Amino acid sequence: MTAAAPVSLRAITKRYGSTIALDGLDLDLQPGEVIGIAGPNGAGKSTLMRILAGEEHPDSGEILLDGAPWVPTSDWSRVAVVHQEPQLFLNLTVAENLMVGREGTSVARPRLDAANLELMRTMGIADVAHIVLSDCTLATQQRTEIARAVARNASIFLFDEPNSALTSDESDKLFREMHKLAQSGHIVALVTHRLGDLVAHCRRVAVVRDGQVRRILEGAELTGDGIARQLVTEQRAPASGDRTRQRTGEGESAFQVRDWTHRDGAFAQVSLSAQPGEILALMGVEGSGARELLRSLAGLERCTGQIEIGALRGDTALNGAAAFVPAARQHSLYSNLSVGENLLVRLGVPQIAGSALWLKRRQMQDLVADAIRRFLVKVRSPGQPVRSLSGGNQQKVAIAQALLCAPELLLLEEPTRGVDIHSKAEIYGLLRDYAAKGHAVVIFCTELLEVYEAADTVRVAAEGRLSSPLAVAAYDHVEHLASDVIRLEDAHRPGPAGQTG
Amino acid sequence: MTPTNPPDPPAPQPGRSGFAEAGQATFDVALRLGGLFGAIVLLAVVIVIAKPSSFNLDVGISVLRAMSSVAIMSLGLLLVIVVGEIDLSFGAVYGLCANVLAVLWIVHGVTIFAALPIAIASGALVGVFNGVLVTVFRIPSFIVTLGSYNLLYGLSLWMTRTSTFNPAYPPPGTEVPEAELDFFTGLTASVGSRPISLEVVWMIGLAVLVGLLLHRTLFGFRLMAVGGNPVAARLARLPVTRYKIMAFVLCGVLAAFAGILDFSFIQTVQPNSGLSATFPVFAAVIIGGASLSGGKGTVIGTMGGALLLAGLQQGLALLSPGPHVQQLFLGAVTIGAVALDLALSRIRNRRAS
Repeated sequence: MTAAAPVSLRAITKRYGSTIALDGLDLDLQPGEVIGIAGPNGAGKSTLMRILAGEEHPDSGEILLDGAPWVPTSDWSRVAVVHQEPQLFLNLTVAENLMVGREGTSVARPRLDAANLELMRTMGIADVAHIVLSDCTLATQQRTEIARAVARNASIFLFDEPNSALTSDESDKLFREMHKLAQSGHIVALVTHRLGDLVAHCRRVAVVRDGQVRRILEGAELTGDGIARQLVTEQRAPASGDRTRQRTGEGESAFQVRDWTHRDGAFAQVSLSAQPGEILALMGVEGSGARELLRSLAGLERCTGQIEIGALRGDTALNGAAAFVPAARQHSLYSNLSVGENLLVRLGVPQIAGSALWLKRRQMQDLVADAIRRFLVKVRSPGQPVRSLSGGNQQKVAIAQALLCAPELLLLEEPTRGVDIHSKAEIYGLLRDYAAKGHAVVIFCTELLEVYEAADTVRVAAEGRLSSPLAVAAYDHVEHLASDVIRLEDAHRPGPAGQTG
Repeated sequence: MTPTNPPDPPAPQPGRSGFAEAGQATFDVALRLGGLFGAIVLLAVVIVIAKPSSFNLDVGISVLRAMSSVAIMSLGLLLVIVVGEIDLSFGAVYGLCANVLAVLWIVHGVTIFAALPIAIASGALVGVFNGVLVTVFRIPSFIVTLGSYNLLYGLSLWMTRTSTFNPAYPPPGTEVPEAELDFFTGLTASVGSRPISLEVVWMIGLAVLVGLLLHRTLFGFRLMAVGGNPVAARLARLPVTRYKIMAFVLCGVLAAFAGILDFSFIQTVQPNSGLSATFPVFAAVIIGGASLSGGKGTVIGTMGGALLLAGLQQGLALLSPGPHVQQLFLGAVTIGAVALDLALSRIRNRRAS
């Protein structure tokens, strides 16, 4: 294996339209070490990865390889990205995957040579060489992806949330592989939300915020709490007056579930409730069951148990008492419809259509004008294509869509992902207004700061169980909330991550 | 992806840029339709110049008659394409329903007033069959309807024992009441001083009906939404399954109408009637600006597509340059229309960014 030269990023800047993803970022990557990269959603981590992997050009700044200017877009084979979902040929066998793209010029069907066989043996995938990849476990698929990169002499390995869908046993093996790569002189970077993994496996951790490296933690500073503090400090402190701390009638809940058990085992025996006016946040890493729990309240997952939303129970409650806003805007917006049509798309009789199902076009115009004003959507005209809006305004349209059907319970997944700070504050305001009218709002969220700013109560999921509620108002500093949440997220997880708790 | 943001996002620009953006979507549709109807006028002018004797109303009327069954079927296909699915079976439904009518009415002596609703209901039934397999069993619609195309053609062959029917000349031993025959031929009788077949009136009536359904009702609005983003529609708990099944049912019913009306006009039906209409109907919908990825399409465009195809067919028959020319034109127009669509949307995207 070839030893790698150090890579340096100098003043890298990247803009997407009016938003600045990277703002003069500097970072040095040394061969032989595992560097961790942490940051909240939208901090610029993924842009950084894409630029290193040669998928995008920076707008300005330079990348140096061993001191000389280097352009990853034209030298992409040097870099390997190990994704959460491997980007391979699922219809081919493991061995064939190793060969694709390196067949040479011979017309004969390529055969594995000794070097490749040896590589597969060291990666522990020789046994499954002739199994079609789609029948292999995710862990094997990731190994195949690493083997492919090693075979083409890649020297820079970027692990992008690699273990979020692995069992703890599998992720231990994956991390062993990662350390082997570093020891043999490759550059290895690990991007993950799991702070425990960063502490356990990295020598240095760079905290990326607002498109810059804010701090590089190493040695004694490198703890889960330390990273969490860096992730959330110096941000705008929430105005504590925003929060409605006293609520009407204890015990009277806007919704509640009991013995709530997921058919496919994502969570079991969960009890959950919220009072009118409460914003409840569910947190938890991927696979903890928090995301499935939120979706189950909208009737999108098959569950057993009792559910009550407002005055409705059981299936009637699941069919229409709650409105769900997914995290990805391509799952909530209709690109073939205008902004106005997008706002009204969830409505029916009697709001936008009369008895014969004729659309009430006059009322629709009024509703749209009203919604644009109420939900602070910045739009030139309601007839504008929805794609032409900024991310923040698209998200407001997505939330308005759900709020316009006046649900008893509003469910949001990552309510402000990819949204600028200004729109974020407006969105929190919209949620707060809605809750204040006596409804309950539940969000699934992976950003502590968002939870701290937006929620009243936090419940943390781990291994399909929920923690007892944490009252956000009881925390004077977001750092304290952060360390409690991280402790709870890691609570049931064995392996290296648990050691830091 | 949005860490920093200018504290004040640029205020919306009032004035001209605002209006330009506002009119964009409708402007595109207008441009597309303008291009289509421009092509139709151009075609007419070319034919008249090449053969001045063709400049009379009768030729125009015969074009309208010739397009009517293709147009009625393409209205149905449009609904299925708007909701993001494909139907290959409508041509076979056309034949099946005409044959159901023929066998019940002519062979078994069922009164036409019962046989007609049964024939139309069988079209609806095929729609339910297609729709349920696509939505409940999640088999891709291309495969489901390719299968039902063959199933239905097989049914038609079996039911008719591969024979051709003409109600005016019923097979030996059977009889068709005079009054019922008059009623049936009356469905598409020619009326007026310049005889126009009633089939043209049926076509226009159905087009208006489907146009209102697609562009003025909640059903149409949601059909567009479901076709544009089925995942979002499912997450928003819109009745995706019901809408998709309804689209297939309407497609089946409209194909049944087309088959029965053509049977009434032509007076004969055979097991393979309608099968050859499959590709022209697709071409009409695509030329009309509908997108195979769903969520996009207009009734007026689809009617324009059918008119352009019928104009080509009749015009080239008048000029008689040989049968190959019509096929060449059909192919070129279909690809050209979609290429034009893509070019337009690229220009628009470039202007938007």
